[in-house]
Amino acid sequence: MRLLAVGAAVFSFASTALCAEKGNLTKPLASRLILPSTFKPAQNFKNVNLVHIINLEKSYPKEQINVVIENIASTSQDEYFIPFTSQQMATIGGLEVKDKKNPDGGLFEAGAVEFDPESDTQFYRVRLEQPLAPKAQQTLGITFSYLSALHPLPKNIGQQETQFLVYEFSAYCPSAYVTLKQKTEVKFPSGNVPEYTIVAGGDAESPQKAGSKFTYGSFGEVPAGAFEPVKVRYEFTKPLIHVSRLERDIEVSHWGGNLAFEERYTLHNHAANLTKQFDRVQWASQQYYNPPSTAIKELKFPLKVGSLDPYFTDVIGNVSTSRFRSNKREANLEIKPRYPVFGGWNYPFRVGWNADLKKFLRKLKTGQGYVLNVPFLEGPKQSEGMVYEHIELRVILPEGAVNVKYSTTVPLVSEEISLHRTFMDTTGRTALTLTAINIVDDFRDRELIVTYDYPLLAGLRKPLVIFATIFGLFVATWAIGSIDVGIKGKK
Amino acid sequence: MESSLHQVWESAVGDAFVPTVGKGSQFLLGFTLLTVGLLLSGLFGLNRSIINIGAIGLPASLAIAFGAIYMICAVGVYV
Repeated sequence: MRLLAVGAAVFSFASTALCAEKGNLTKPLASRLILPSTFKPAQNFKNVNLVHIINLEKSYPKEQINVVIENIASTSQDEYFIPFTSQQMATIGGLEVKDKKNPDGGLFEAGAVEFDPESDTQFYRVRLEQPLAPKAQQTLGITFSYLSALHPLPKNIGQQETQFLVYEFSAYCPSAYVTLKQKTEVKFPSGNVPEYTIVAGGDAESPQKAGSKFTYGSFGEVPAGAFEPVKVRYEFTKPLIHVSRLERDIEVSHWGGNLAFEERYTLHNHAANLTKQFDRVQWASQQYYNPPSTAIKELKFPLKVGSLDPYFTDVIGNVSTSRFRSNKREANLEIKPRYPVFGGWNYPFRVGWNADLKKFLRKLKTGQGYVLNVPFLEGPKQSEGMVYEHIELRVILPEGAVNVKYSTTVPLVSEEISLHRTFMDTTGRTALTLTAINIVDDFRDRELIVTYDYPLLAGLRKPLVIFATIFGLFVATWAIGSIDVGIKGKK
Repeated sequence: MESSLHQVWESAVGDAFVPTVGKGSQFLLGFTLLTVGLLLSGLFGLNRSIINIGAIGLPASLAIAFGAIYMICAVGVYV
């Protein structure tokens, strides 16, 4: 008995260590360029005019910086640096930079650089499409979001109470360069903002309020790295949906003409916790009026038209509280968790569905190539938004597929091509695994395009294996049947 | 905003992948082929000879091989 207890303790310690390692994946996965520890961005630019827009309408802060930059160096420059604190660096997601004047142009190459892991200031480096000539100007549009940056205050509320969130930022937009003129706009979900910081300076008293929009500034010349802390507390009685891990499998079947999707969610609600026990009677009596709540009641998946055979299961088994509306115009999967998911509660579940392959796969004219176009993310579309801390997307191609290439506009941290062994496989199917971290639901409609070669012989591998087995059985039957096992002597 | 292989996808428009056998006919074909394979196997059992391995065993094996593939697809395990 004692041995059992010791064994259980050792096992729990080992599993804790393993889980801790898994939970820390966020940092090591981010690919970074290492710079010398003395690094400091050269003052090659100045920000002529900057507008910083902070959007708090969803359950995560989405920031946009529109800035007119001017090259003040004597030579052409193409490297622009954006500073972040190390805390922001760990939770920032989906940083994209493009030329504001040329919205059809591509995204600029942007990546995190690391020079001193101990430093609190880290940088993202943006490489301009073309070097900017001296004294020339360019307008950049920089967008990004932060995960886990909003905190409920108070931390515990009643089941029917209003929730308030706190967000801290700087009234001066963090920049590695001198900024001549700037303002910061904050968009709230409603006009109910009981607490906010008042900033001295600027043209008038900051913030100026216009409905649910607050404006800090405009401010005059501000040196590089200037920081003016601002804290706002606003009403947001909606859930803070946080997916700590999403595993999404897409399985291609040429024989079946089918594309199978399966998504496994580890879902959390980061909203304020309940002050006391959940009251089912109070909950049920209020549902008729549909009051605003911090609980996750329903998740809506707008799938591609033509999706079929959906399922929704959790650790117990099938969950019957789901609806699938499918017709010529839409295919909506609406699922209700087994219980309302309040702040601090978790709900792991899985959903899956099939689709006809012909809408997603095309044959290339040359050789035996195929091109597959699938959505990178097809998670729930919620008005309050949701965030994904870790996404592992696996595209399982047919057995024998070779020469796999892919492209997507979603920022990735790792890629891997491996073998996935399942029913009736001999060598295993080619699986492309892509990992992304800190992704918000704005990336929902991004496409993933995969090309691969699938030779005819590889396609015929499965029936050939069965054929060989059965034919071998016939030969064995004949061979064994013709052995003379009689006991009478030869005549 | 387009990914680099977007052009490849666009250039293949009109060449949508069409499976050899549609989802609706998989069960019928799989069932028929498996039945034929089973009957041929029975026939082989009545007269096991080296000639019948080629004459009956070969088509029976082929029928069972393709029948099994389509039957597995028809029941929802898309191999």
